[in-house]
Amino acid sequence: MKYFLSYVVAISFFTSCAQQLKLNDIPIKEEVRNYTIKSFVSNINIPWGMTWLPDGSMLITEKSGDLIHFINDEKINITTTFDDLYVRGQGGLLDIELHPNYPENGWIYISYASNEGEGEGGNTKLVRAKLIENNLTQVETLYKATPNTTSGVHFGSRIVFDKEGYVYLTIGDRGNHEENPQNLQKDGGKVYRFHEDGRIPDDNPFTNEAGAKTSIFSYGHRNLQGMAIHPTSGKIWTHEHGPKGGDEINILKKGANYGWPEITYGLNYNGTIITEETERDGMENPIYYWFPSIAPSGMAFVTGDKFPEWKGNLLVGSLKFQYLELVQLNGNNVISRQKIATDIGRLRNVKIGPDGYIYIAVEGKGIERITPN
Amino acid sequence: MKNPIHLFSLTFFFFVGCITLEKEKNIESNSKNSILIADKQFQEKTELQKSMQRGKNIYSGFCMQCHLPDGKGVPGNFPPLAGSDWLTEKRSESIYVVKYGQTGEIIVNGVKYNNVMAPLGLSDDEVADVMNYIMNSWENTQNQMVTVEEVKAVKK
Repeated sequence: MKYFLSYVVAISFFTSCAQQLKLNDIPIKEEVRNYTIKSFVSNINIPWGMTWLPDGSMLITEKSGDLIHFINDEKINITTTFDDLYVRGQGGLLDIELHPNYPENGWIYISYASNEGEGEGGNTKLVRAKLIENNLTQVETLYKATPNTTSGVHFGSRIVFDKEGYVYLTIGDRGNHEENPQNLQKDGGKVYRFHEDGRIPDDNPFTNEAGAKTSIFSYGHRNLQGMAIHPTSGKIWTHEHGPKGGDEINILKKGANYGWPEITYGLNYNGTIITEETERDGMENPIYYWFPSIAPSGMAFVTGDKFPEWKGNLLVGSLKFQYLELVQLNGNNVISRQKIATDIGRLRNVKIGPDGYIYIAVEGKGIERITPN
Repeated sequence: MKNPIHLFSLTFFFFVGCITLEKEKNIESNSKNSILIADKQFQEKTELQKSMQRGKNIYSGFCMQCHLPDGKGVPGNFPPLAGSDWLTEKRSESIYVVKYGQTGEIIVNGVKYNNVMAPLGLSDDEVADVMNYIMNSWENTQNQMVTVEEVKAVKK
């Protein structure tokens, strides 16, 4: 009995240690700055989403509600009619993307926190609209998550189109991890997939499940603020904020459960344990997790020929450590990590521009551009 | 011989007893007053405690991700609230920040911060509650509770 007890104590000691340390982690390398970082669009408080129009000008969302068109070195405020915009905590005007056939159809996709519908508070909404003479018009609602709540956290939200033309949207768990992420009948803690006009694809994974939100593509997520299509495989990569130590990179599979909050490598913010479980059958493990958390936001694969040494690797912004992280990959494995733009500020978004340069959205600054020397 | 002494002592005791009784009465009425005072203090404390409890929920939903559960923040990145000179010396500025957000350089406990705190979108009573929470948590103390009226008076 005595031995048994000490065995139990030893086991629980090691198990709890394992949660607080990441063994054999890949240390992040310090920056070697053989490139130049310069301000591209200045004075934007919280630049959230950014994209480029065919003429090379930029559209930038600012969380408090401004939609900025940066053209000919000038910032023009686009008039929007988002009367239901809900600016609270992490919520506000969020991501922006163009339809892959934008030159033909002119559709711009935007996600934002909205107070539309019943109940006090808000939840994430996806719309599409057209930009005509500095006005955003013909706004169509494609999806609005429910219920509205006054929680200020975990709205998501990123938008991407895959190579088949489906549009994906991320919505965080809205701070209600007991009810939302594992329940297919509820919004939140999910990645959603739609046709370009908001219709639900027939082959979405839960179309035949009674009561399920059929727009769900994958579930068991916490708060995803980064999503990108892999340039060669076409797969959807995401990252998500974990709790304390447990930020994840995942490759999405249709219908898969990513485990939050049943399994996680993270702890509660006060250091207490959420669950001892880090894996379970039927739940996906991340391809990489950050410990400590970096608070990831924005995600892009390096494409084009401006940064040949980085090509095919992943860029992720860190809100917490205020740098851009280059995550070097061998297939689906993370093999090294490198700091870029050390101490730049809270890094909210990253994208490769049509010119092949790296654009980063930095809170309190605006958009900065990285060009090779 | 014994009886008068007894009588005397009895009378004496009676008097003393009376005086004591009188004293007790005084004490009783005094303590009634002090109970009233204590009641009032208790009520005030309860109001503060109630506000702090609501503020704690606001804190965990809107502030904790950056300022952390222990209120210590991240030096050079997110300023501390626990033991913060800014919070104690700049009461209305602190209310302003919680109400409208913060940009530009500030110095907290001798360390420079130049980050953005986005407007949180809190109602005035939520601002008061979270202010009461951060001003009375960890080892922070304040003499005067933050009221909704005080928050209302802080204009952009």
